[in-house]
Amino acid sequence: MTGIRRGAVALTLLGLAGLVALFWLSFFWVSTEVTQGVVQRIFYVHVPAAWTAFLAIGISALCSAVYLWLRDERLDRAALAAAEGGLVFATIVLTTGPLWGKIAWGTYWTWEPRLTLTLLLWFIFAGYFMVRNATEDPDKGKRFAAVVAIVGALDIPFIHVSVLWFRSLHPQPVVAKVEGPTLPGDMLATLFFGLGTFTLLFFGLFLFRYAVEGLRTRAELRTRTSAA
Amino acid sequence: MSAYVGRLSAIVRKDLVLELRSRERVASMAAFAVLAGVLFNYSIDTTRVRPQDVAAGLVWMTLVFDGLLGVGRTFHIEAQDGAMQGILTSPTPKDAVYLAKVIANFVLLYSVALLVLGVFALFFALDVSTNLGWVLLVLALGSLGFVALATLFAAISTGTSMAETLLPILVFPLLVPMVVFGVGSTGRLIAGRPFSEVEGNVRMLGAFAVGAVAAGAVLFRYVVEE
Repeated sequence: MTGIRRGAVALTLLGLAGLVALFWLSFFWVSTEVTQGVVQRIFYVHVPAAWTAFLAIGISALCSAVYLWLRDERLDRAALAAAEGGLVFATIVLTTGPLWGKIAWGTYWTWEPRLTLTLLLWFIFAGYFMVRNATEDPDKGKRFAAVVAIVGALDIPFIHVSVLWFRSLHPQPVVAKVEGPTLPGDMLATLFFGLGTFTLLFFGLFLFRYAVEGLRTRAELRTRTSAA
Repeated sequence: MSAYVGRLSAIVRKDLVLELRSRERVASMAAFAVLAGVLFNYSIDTTRVRPQDVAAGLVWMTLVFDGLLGVGRTFHIEAQDGAMQGILTSPTPKDAVYLAKVIANFVLLYSVALLVLGVFALFFALDVSTNLGWVLLVLALGSLGFVALATLFAAISTGTSMAETLLPILVFPLLVPMVVFGVGSTGRLIAGRPFSEVEGNVRMLGAFAVGAVAAGAVLFRYVVEE
């Protein structure tokens, strides 16, 4: 347990330091995009947060599936911690996206595929927590939540294809393309720095949440034994 | 294998016989469909929008809401008098219980889907005759996908303190592909476009239905275990 806590502190501090550096890079170092101007700089927060949110549903679904198989409480805790991180980072995407959209598109909200997909992902995470908290038997809540995470993750590719069916306003991918990234070097470097930072920060918070959940279980066990 | 089919069909028969005798769900779903059509009529400014242009969307939205109404009560009867324990302690495999519930719900929802199509064709002067076969296929695939997801999540929501109120929150985000592909193909088929134009939509709808049934059959046992 102390190892996990130490890891959580180290990763979170590293992530926070990275966040400061990322803000410095994206405000002062990276060159301004020609057509969009200054507003494009939100991209270095928006895209890493989106990447982390989708990483989180993947981890949560994977841990949930193995939990249903092995019934190890630690896996359920990991799935919970990942889902909570995912909810936070999806909220960041849903805040930064419309802020950028208001200036770049002239509207806070459009039915743009990736924005819609993130909104639905947010609701899948929200459903995960509602199911968990709406059962009297905690084990039942864990199983129900695991099923929600797994079905949600399996449905994401379908949702992605279906929302793409509608014509897209979103900027087309500039990094993950067959012919290689078209982003200028300094922008690409800042973006990758952001991806690394957000991933570190996510795992730091993930470990913290995981440790807290472990302590909570232990405390509950203690009160139950002392009551008996 | 034949024992599996026998047990599965016993549950299907039980559910359908119960429904035929009580007509509890089918009557309320049918009334809901017709009344939704009436309300939709007054929700559209027909001097600006041709009802035919939005009819496909109305058909699917009615199916989704109506489906929740009916499928949400799938395990209602089992929740009483410990009947669920009876089914689960019987030698029927859990996935057979799930598939039986899906089949019974599908029969129910598809009958309502046919009614919705007929009533809306009458109300909004739709010409469904050109592509009737394809429209029926699209409605069948959509109903199957819907029922597969909703049955699994109905089992979950029945087990929570929030009961039916939780079901839409869990199911709506997951149903987006079904609505996109379903409305996309139904709209164009009703407008008389050739099937080749919507083939991609229909294939995706089919893949969605098959995936939903498979996922439900695998995961249902974890929902109902004691």
